[in-house]
Amino acid sequence: MNRTIALIALAAALLLPHIAGPYWTGLVTLMYIFGLLALSIDLLLGHAGLFSLTHASFFAVSAYTVAILQVRYGVPTLLAAPAGVLAGTLLALLFGLAVRTRGVYFILITIAFGYVVWGVAHRWSSFTGGDNGVTNVPFPAAGPLAITSHTQYYYLVLVAVILCALGYRVLIRSPFGLGLRGIKASESRMRSLGYRTTLHLYAAFVLSGALASFAGVLYVYYNKFVNPVAASFQVSVEAALMAIVGGSGTLIGAFIGAGVVLGLRNWVSSFFELHAAVMGAVFIATVLWAPQGLVGLARRFFK
Amino acid sequence: MLTSAVLQAINGISLAALLFLLASGFTLSFGLMRVVNMAHGAYYLVGGYIGLTLAEKTGSFALALVGGGAAVVVLGFLIDRFLMRRTGENHLAQVLLTVGIAFVLGDLALWIWGGDNLMVPAPQYLKGAVVLPGELYYPRYRFVLIFFGVVVGAALWLLYRKTQLGAVVRAGVDDREQVNATGINVDRLFILVSALASFLAGMAGVAGGAFLTLYPGAEWEILVYALVVVIVGGLGSLEGAMIGALIVGLLDAYGRWLLPEFSYFVLFGPIALLMLFRPRGLFGKEH
Amino acid sequence: MNQVLKTVAALLAASLGATAYAQSGPIRIGVLAPITGPLATPGRDMVDGMKLYWEQAKYTAGGRKVELVMADTTCNPDQALNQARRLVHQEKVHFLIGPLCGHEGPAVAQVSKETGVPLVMDAAGADTITKWDRTPSVVRTAVSASQIGHPWGEYMYKELGLRNVTFIGQDYTWGHEVTLGAVRAYTELGGKVAKIIWNPIGTKDYGPTISAIPADTDGVSAVVVGADRVRLFEAWFNFGMHKKKKIYGGYWMQQDALPQMDDRAVGLIGNALNYAAGIKTPENQAFTTAFAKAYKRLPSWFGESAYTASLWSRTAIDSIKGKVEDREAFLKAMRTVQIKAPRGPLKLDKYDNPIQNVYISRIEKIKHPVLGEVLTNVPFKTYEGVSQFWKWDPEEFLKRGPYQR
Repeated sequence: MNRTIALIALAAALLLPHIAGPYWTGLVTLMYIFGLLALSIDLLLGHAGLFSLTHASFFAVSAYTVAILQVRYGVPTLLAAPAGVLAGTLLALLFGLAVRTRGVYFILITIAFGYVVWGVAHRWSSFTGGDNGVTNVPFPAAGPLAITSHTQYYYLVLVAVILCALGYRVLIRSPFGLGLRGIKASESRMRSLGYRTTLHLYAAFVLSGALASFAGVLYVYYNKFVNPVAASFQVSVEAALMAIVGGSGTLIGAFIGAGVVLGLRNWVSSFFELHAAVMGAVFIATVLWAPQGLVGLARRFFK
Repeated sequence: MLTSAVLQAINGISLAALLFLLASGFTLSFGLMRVVNMAHGAYYLVGGYIGLTLAEKTGSFALALVGGGAAVVVLGFLIDRFLMRRTGENHLAQVLLTVGIAFVLGDLALWIWGGDNLMVPAPQYLKGAVVLPGELYYPRYRFVLIFFGVVVGAALWLLYRKTQLGAVVRAGVDDREQVNATGINVDRLFILVSALASFLAGMAGVAGGAFLTLYPGAEWEILVYALVVVIVGGLGSLEGAMIGALIVGLLDAYGRWLLPEFSYFVLFGPIALLMLFRPRGLFGKEH
Repeated sequence: MNQVLKTVAALLAASLGATAYAQSGPIRIGVLAPITGPLATPGRDMVDGMKLYWEQAKYTAGGRKVELVMADTTCNPDQALNQARRLVHQEKVHFLIGPLCGHEGPAVAQVSKETGVPLVMDAAGADTITKWDRTPSVVRTAVSASQIGHPWGEYMYKELGLRNVTFIGQDYTWGHEVTLGAVRAYTELGGKVAKIIWNPIGTKDYGPTISAIPADTDGVSAVVVGADRVRLFEAWFNFGMHKKKKIYGGYWMQQDALPQMDDRAVGLIGNALNYAAGIKTPENQAFTTAFAKAYKRLPSWFGESAYTASLWSRTAIDSIKGKVEDREAFLKAMRTVQIKAPRGPLKLDKYDNPIQNVYISRIEKIKHPVLGEVLTNVPFKTYEGVSQFWKWDPEEFLKRGPYQR
C-alpha cells in the first residue's frame, strides 16, 4: 500500500514539469526546499522535543556563503556549495550550545540567536549587501555538467531531496533516533540508563543545522539571490509551521506542510486580503484539533 | 557629551518603563501558570489601537488607557477560555498556538485600522518639553511615563509581596500543588492573574502608541524586546522584569548612541551569552 | 468547466497561430504591489494611482483593451519573486510594472532577466538596477535613490549655507544611497559632516538619535521612511529641538505621512524629491484633482509614480500600435518616448533611468478645492533635468562603485 503510494507520488513528481507550467514547477521546487528546512527543524521538534526558532540562521548563512563565493569570487559550485553547508554547520556547532537549556528557555534563546544573525545580515551591508542582498547567483555547474533551466533544476532538487529523505529515514530509525525519542519521552530515564543526553541533543542539533544549511544551498540556487529576509524570525516560524501542519515526526508531513503554507501564501493572497489571518487560523486549528497534522488526520481517516 | 549621556539615560529609562508594563504581565503569567504567550505583542497592539479609537472618539487619554486595557482583558479571557485551555500544560503547543493567534490578531488589526502609522493622541498637559537645568529639553510625556512605570511597578510589588493574594500567587509560582492543597480556587486565581497580564499589555499599547506609534508589525518588534526583558530578568520574576527592563532600555539607548553599527549585537549578543551561562536569567528560579 | 473551455480555446488559438490570437486579445499588465504588509499604505497609493490612470484611459492602449493583473508582494522579496513568476507564467502578462519596496527590485529584475518579459521598474529605487546591475529588459520610470540625494546635498551647502551638518539616515539600502549621495555632493563642495546617525527601519525610539546630535552642528538632514517618519517628527518637537536647531527633510514628510503630522510641520522643508503634490503645472493639477476626487486624499509620490509608469507604458504601446508581443519594440519605445508627467518632463538616459526634475519642497497648509484645508509639499526650488549621475561623468561614477555605509 505504502509502496504503491510512494511510486505514484514519484511518478507524479517526475512528470510534473511536463504537465504543469513553469510557475507550478517553481512552486513545487520551493516546496521541496522548504520541506527540507521544515524537516531539519522537525528532527529536533518531532523527535527530540526541542523547538528551535533559529533555523533560518543556518539556512541563510549557508545561502549567503554560496552567493558571496559564487558571485563575488567566482568560486565554482563544487566548492561553493559544500562551503555553504560547512558555514551553516559551523554556526550550528556554536548555536548548539543552546541545548544546555530545555523547554521555553530553549525557544527563547534560539529567538535571540536568530535576531543576531538577522541583524548582522541586515546591518553589515558592506559584506552582505544590506537589504538588497546578493543577486545574480548562477545555476549550479560542475565542469561540463551545468544546469541551464528551472526544469533541470527541479530534477536536481528532487534527487537531492529524495536522497536527504532516505538518509533522514535511516537516521531516525537508527539507535541515535531512538535515543532522541527516548529523551523526548523522558530525559531523566534516559540519563539513568547512562545516556549522555545533552551530548546526544547537541549532535542532533548540529545534524539538523547541517540539513537546514543544505536547504539553504538549494534555495539560493533556485532564487538566485539572498537577502536578510531569509534569516528572519518569520522564516523560522513558517518552517516550523510547515512541519506541524503537515505532521510533526513524520517524513512526508514536512513536505505536505510546505505545500500547504506556500500554497496559502501564493494562492490565497491573490484573492483574499486576510491571508495571514487564514494562515494563523490553519495553525491554530492544527495545534488544537490535529496535533498530528494532516498526515495524522489522513491516518485517522483511513483507519 | 555629559548632557548626551544624561539624556540617553533618561531615554533608556523611559523605554524601560514601557517594556516593564508589557513584560511584567508576561512574566507573572508564566510564573504562575507556566503560560508562554507569544500573542502578548499582539495584545499590546490591539490594546493600543482600541485606545486610539477611544481617545479619538472621547478625547480622554485616561479613558483610552483603561479602555484599551479592559478590551484586551476581554480578548485575553476569550482566548484563554476557548483556545489556551485546550493545550493543557504543553509548552510547545502553547507557543505554537499563540504564534497563530498573533498572526490572526495582527492581520485583523491591519484590516480594521489600516497600515498607516497611527499615534495615540496624548492630552495637551502631557505634550511638550520639560526644561531641565542646563537648557536641556526633555519630553514631558516620557517623564510621566517613567513615573507611571514606577507607580505600576510599586503597586505590583506591593500586591505581590505584601498582600494575601500576592502570597498565594508566590506560593503558586513555587509550588502549584501546595496552593491546590490549601483549598484556594486556583482557577479563579489564574483568571485574575491573566486578566492583570492582559490589562497591562493593553495599557502598555496605549502608553507606547502615544510616542512609538502603532503600525502592522509592531506586535513582533515589541514582543522581541519584551522577551529579552524577561529572559534577562528570569521568567516568572517580577523583580527580574524591573531590572531586565532597565538593562534592555539602557543597552538600547547607549548602544545606539555609542555603537550604532552594532546595535543588534549590543542588545542580543550579551543576552544570548547570558542565556548560555545563566539560562534562567538573573532572577529566574529552577522550574 | 470554464477553465477547461478557456484552456481548449487557448490551445486552439495557439495552433491557429499564436501571434494572430495574441494580437487580438487584451494587453495584460502584471502589477506587483505591497497590498498587505508593512508598506501597505504606499502600496495602496500605488494601486490607486495606477487604477486612476487606466480608468482615465478607459483601459485601452494602442487600440487594444488593457487588463491589469494585481499581485501582492507583501514587501517580501521571496514573495515578490514567486508572484512575478506567477504573473509571467500563469497569467501570461505582456510586461510587469512594480515593485515598490527597494529590496524587492533585484528579485523581480531576476524574473525579467530569466524570462525576457519586460519590467517597468516602479518605486523600488535601488541604484544598482540602473547602474552596476542592469538588465536589458528592465527600464525604470520612477527614480534611483541617490538621484534625489545629490541635489539635496548641493542645496544644503549652497542655498541653506550649511557647513557642519548632522545626517540622520535610515539604515538600509535606500537610506544609504539617498543620504550618502547627499553627503557626497555636499562634502565635494566643501561641507563638513558633523555626524551621520544611522537608524534601522522601525526604530521605535528616536530619543537616542536626537540626544546624539552634536551641539555644534548647524543643521540636521533627515532621511527616514515608513513609521519612522512620524516618530522622528514627534521626538523632534517633544525634545524641544525646534527651539535649538534646524532640521531639513531630504526624504521625510511625504504626502502619505502628513495626515499623521500636524501644523507644527508647516514651514519645514519636507523633501528633496522627484515629486511634490503641490507642483503647479496643469498636468499635476489635473492629476491631483482627479486623485482627490476619487480617493479623498492627495497622492504621495508612490501614487504619482504608478500613474506615470502607466502613462509612460501607454505612450510606448501607442507608438508601436499595440504590438506588445514584440518585446524589443516595446522596450525600445519605452526608451525613446518622452512624456509630460504630473511630476514634469521625463525621458530615459542611456542607463534606463529617467532624467527628471528634483523639487525641494516646504510643508504648507493649502485650501484644496476638493479636500478643504490640507497639509502638502509645495515646491519652491527646482533642479531641472537631474541625471542619476548628477554632475559627474557616468563612467567615473560607475567606477566609483555603489554608496555603502
